[in-house]
Amino acid sequence: MSPLPAAPVTLAVGDALPQITVGPLSRTDFVRYAGAGRDFNPIHHDEPFAHSAGLPEVFGMGMLHAGILGARLARWVGPEQLRRFQVRFVGQVWPGDVLTFRGEVEQVADGIAHLALTVTRQDGEPVLRASAAAAVAG
Amino acid sequence: MTDPAVAGTELDTVRFPVERGKLAELARAFHDDDPAWFDPAAARAAGFPGIPAPPTATVLADHWRSDGALTSALALGLDVARLLHGEASWEYLVPVRAGDELAGTARVVGVTTRDGRRGGTMTLITIETAFTNQDGAVAVIRRDTLIETAPPA
Repeated sequence: MSPLPAAPVTLAVGDALPQITVGPLSRTDFVRYAGAGRDFNPIHHDEPFAHSAGLPEVFGMGMLHAGILGARLARWVGPEQLRRFQVRFVGQVWPGDVLTFRGEVEQVADGIAHLALTVTRQDGEPVLRASAAAAVAG
Repeated sequence: MTDPAVAGTELDTVRFPVERGKLAELARAFHDDDPAWFDPAAARAAGFPGIPAPPTATVLADHWRSDGALTSALALGLDVARLLHGEASWEYLVPVRAGDELAGTARVVGVTTRDGRRGGTMTLITIETAFTNQDGAVAVIRRDTLIETAPPA
């Protein structure tokens, strides 16, 4: 794993986030995030509650994969260079899913890189679309 | 359905410490075990003046709110069985590091309704939380869109 950058990095249009996959995600992954972030909505850990809400099983909280993406984004551009991070949850994450995290520089202007990012499931369906802005070197 | 009149309502203010133990838990939950996220010596070796917070670290406020991540939804009377998180965004103004003391005030800034894909009406509620640090500076502004899907027909 590359070190966490403390100073601005150099980025150009088309540069890509080192792509990673995480998973298969387990219910334990959901519960670990529930404890770390205090998200105890039973829909994310309590199977009978999920069934009563009409769902086939529990699903992962969006802030878990948003958080994984955020940490990887920080590892790429530097946690203290981020100016904005915006995520839109567009699909659900189920136990057993393997997620792929991607990102690309779309524009660099006035010392700020504008990035587009996605998280997709193993079947190619997106679960999250994101954008970010970060201060860059040069 | 939520009364549109709640727009502008202040929900709660919570003060909380950015603790390295919770930052270590977040790093593990995010499948990123770099000690720079929780060990002061590793953070210094990487060139940081203190342990940097990950981009979504403002969730730590939920440890100090009455109902955790569900505090705003329950205060607004939303049905958690029909609750979805639609969007989240963060504006970063001042770096957040372990040892900081933040105070976040959550406010409802928008309520809209929309026809649900399977009939009925869904409600979208936007909440903004401004986090001020121990120096009185606004460090992070977070916005969330909560969606209450239409009740079953």
